[in-house]
Amino acid sequence: MKHTVDNVSRRSLLKTGAAIGGGIVAGGLPLSQVIWAAEGKVLRACSDGDITKLDPAFYNRQVEVDVMSCIYSKLIRYKPGSEWGWELDAAEHIEQVDPTHIRFRIKKGIKFTGGYGEMTAKDVKFSFERIFKQKSFLAPQWGSLDRVELEDDYTGVLVFKTPFVPVWLLSLTDATGHVLSEDAVMKATKDGGDFGLKPPAFSGPYVLADWKPSQYIVLTRNPEWSGPKPGFDEIRVVPVDDLKARERAYLAGDVDFTSISLDSLAGFKSNPPPNTKVEEWPSLWYYWIGMNMDHPKLKDVNVRKAIQWAINVPQILDAAFAGQVNVATGTIAPGLVGHRPKALVPPEGDLAKAKEFLEKAGVNNLSLSIDCTNDSTNTTIAQTVQAQLSQIGITIEVNARDNSTFWTLGSESQGERWKDLQLIVNGFIGLPDPNYNTNPFLQNQVGIWNWERFRSARYDELAAKANTVEDPDARGKLYQEMQDLMEDSGCYRFLTNGANPIMYRTTEMLASTRPDGAPLFYDFQPA
Amino acid sequence: MWLYLLKRTVLAVAIVATAMTLVFLMIHAVPGDPAITLLGPRASAEMIAQIHRQLGLDKPLAVQLALFFGRVFHGDLGFDAFSQRPVRDIVFEQLPYTIELIFVSILWAVMIAVPLGCYSAIRRNSIVDQVTGIVTVAAIAIPSFVVAVYALLFFAVTLRWLPAIGAGGGFKDGLIYLILPAFAVGLGWVGYISRLVRASMLEVLGENHVRMARSFGISEWRIVARYALPLAILPTVTILGVGIAWLLSSAVFIEVVFARPGIGKLIVDAVNTRNYPIVMGVVLVTTFLIVAATTLSDLVNAFLDPRTREKL
Repeated sequence: MKHTVDNVSRRSLLKTGAAIGGGIVAGGLPLSQVIWAAEGKVLRACSDGDITKLDPAFYNRQVEVDVMSCIYSKLIRYKPGSEWGWELDAAEHIEQVDPTHIRFRIKKGIKFTGGYGEMTAKDVKFSFERIFKQKSFLAPQWGSLDRVELEDDYTGVLVFKTPFVPVWLLSLTDATGHVLSEDAVMKATKDGGDFGLKPPAFSGPYVLADWKPSQYIVLTRNPEWSGPKPGFDEIRVVPVDDLKARERAYLAGDVDFTSISLDSLAGFKSNPPPNTKVEEWPSLWYYWIGMNMDHPKLKDVNVRKAIQWAINVPQILDAAFAGQVNVATGTIAPGLVGHRPKALVPPEGDLAKAKEFLEKAGVNNLSLSIDCTNDSTNTTIAQTVQAQLSQIGITIEVNARDNSTFWTLGSESQGERWKDLQLIVNGFIGLPDPNYNTNPFLQNQVGIWNWERFRSARYDELAAKANTVEDPDARGKLYQEMQDLMEDSGCYRFLTNGANPIMYRTTEMLASTRPDGAPLFYDFQPA
Repeated sequence: MWLYLLKRTVLAVAIVATAMTLVFLMIHAVPGDPAITLLGPRASAEMIAQIHRQLGLDKPLAVQLALFFGRVFHGDLGFDAFSQRPVRDIVFEQLPYTIELIFVSILWAVMIAVPLGCYSAIRRNSIVDQVTGIVTVAAIAIPSFVVAVYALLFFAVTLRWLPAIGAGGGFKDGLIYLILPAFAVGLGWVGYISRLVRASMLEVLGENHVRMARSFGISEWRIVARYALPLAILPTVTILGVGIAWLLSSAVFIEVVFARPGIGKLIVDAVNTRNYPIVMGVVLVTTFLIVAATTLSDLVNAFLDPRTREKL
């Protein structure tokens, strides 16, 4: 069958318009590929959703970061490869002068499109301070930034109120580090506010040439770009929410780069599609089973510890992730500062020890509920926990909720439901700095994102200190202790950091990603 | 007739208003918060409150509902919670994709089903009629999303003849992208319409004027085309008018399977994220479409058969 099909010309099929009847003649590319074939090299990739914003100060989704990285410049950007690091982008030079001052010098000749002239330090000041002036919800990513002082047209100094180490792998390198044209933004918005989906000027190697909602995002070369020429003439990103649909789009030849689901990973690894490279990248997610320590049934730490010890993590990962992910030791993924080499409770747990804790608590016939989102992965996690806890005599009722319902369960502003919350299957996306991954568990987050209602003054103290320690080893130890405190409270059983497998067609491209598999499209090269 | 038209229009407006009120109350009754979905774990309570203020969610429910109807009266459907784009723009961007999907699905289904139904009626109880009967009933029974998945796997993934996702751009390109989705939506209608046409044809073919035509020696195909089909097709036209709700629900599944833009996919995403303005906007437009199609169908019936005017 395949041999026959390879000889079919889809172009003729198009011409005759006899597709329904299978008007088939010879040829190599799928129809969609022929339709989209533009002059020059076109990178065709799937994203996990459509764009809703292209304003770095107000972005919502990863796909927006991927696109913004192509159309705007930053002082520094993530270095492609398997280790987290950064490299110069718009900055010619950048240095930490002292714990609260970072001096930068911008390369000369970086142009904003639309006649907005050259990028200067004034634009950097505007872009970074704007995040605070406009009360962006992303302001915490800039921590204690106070102001940007200008020294001359190209040189400036970032001034922090207190040392803020996450600036290197969070503030400057993530989306909020993009530099916008002050003149262009002020002209477009009057007050420097959110410009939504209409970038007033571009400064990256690509410009947004076309966007059809739910259809495609097309980036083409920026004619005014003075930096190194990127590999592709055009980048076409197709938003597809569903992972399986993305895989089908790849197999059908509609795209040449996509992320893939974990349950398909083993299959793709052993039997990859033709001319395809499958790569497994660790994700920055962290999943855990949480326990609301304020619930009367879970108030006793011995009950919580019994649950921790009864949960066999590798079993859960086999069931819910097809065994394709790591065992997490905390909220900080491997490769990041503060990752713990191992958890306090061994991954396999220990039923005998779990029973001891229950006896210590003097609890019999305990029945609890576990809340999760209603997707297959999280439901499977909940069901596996249900089976595991039944071994120590705990009966579990699984409450699978739709996404939007689930994400309000522990929120005090949403009513009294947080009081009924008992066990939770939870998962947050992380960023490359541990500051981001540990903040949701501070005391001031109780009833907002800290649904376990974990309260530790020591944790808060360490979190504040960790922002100021430059030495990665010393800083890492602080974060490790924070995760110890979390686990020792009995409120958390860490599961996994997930994984982010991708595949791409080697006949079309050489892909380039961050260490978490997020694509750096401007670094992709044609095959 | 004018009085009937007036009554029917008032009823249509009342149906749309009731549907909107019910949907508004239901979606607010279900737990969920667009601000929390939007902001995620990075959000503070103040930020969530700020989004609530922007969306008007800090106001009492009755006030929110009154404001919604007030805005609708002025042609304003509000703003998307995520992108802050006007809901009206978003809905009318997506609506043409769904309409073209429904239109093409019905078009090809009618083109195949009507001759098939006529043929089965003429050759009643023949092998062809029996086989057609089995196949068409099977086509009705298979859900459109099952057809969609298998068609996609076979024609897009295995054979790679057709695109698997999206809607393409331009007329010719758009048609190519429509083939699989329209096939999936239309297949059930082929079965449904052909059975309907067959039944109507059998009834009409037994009537006096047809027998008289036969006695004059007019050919069977001419009788079918000239005397029987125009009458037999009427129930089908009526069914197509009121079947728009069914078609819209099929479109929801198909748009999700083919990652195709359209209001079906739009509302699924909006409900999942509790994006209230989008949900209300899509429901308003689809309810209007369904009520308009039903009203139009009733008006046509009333025009053709005056007895129905008394039934309102």
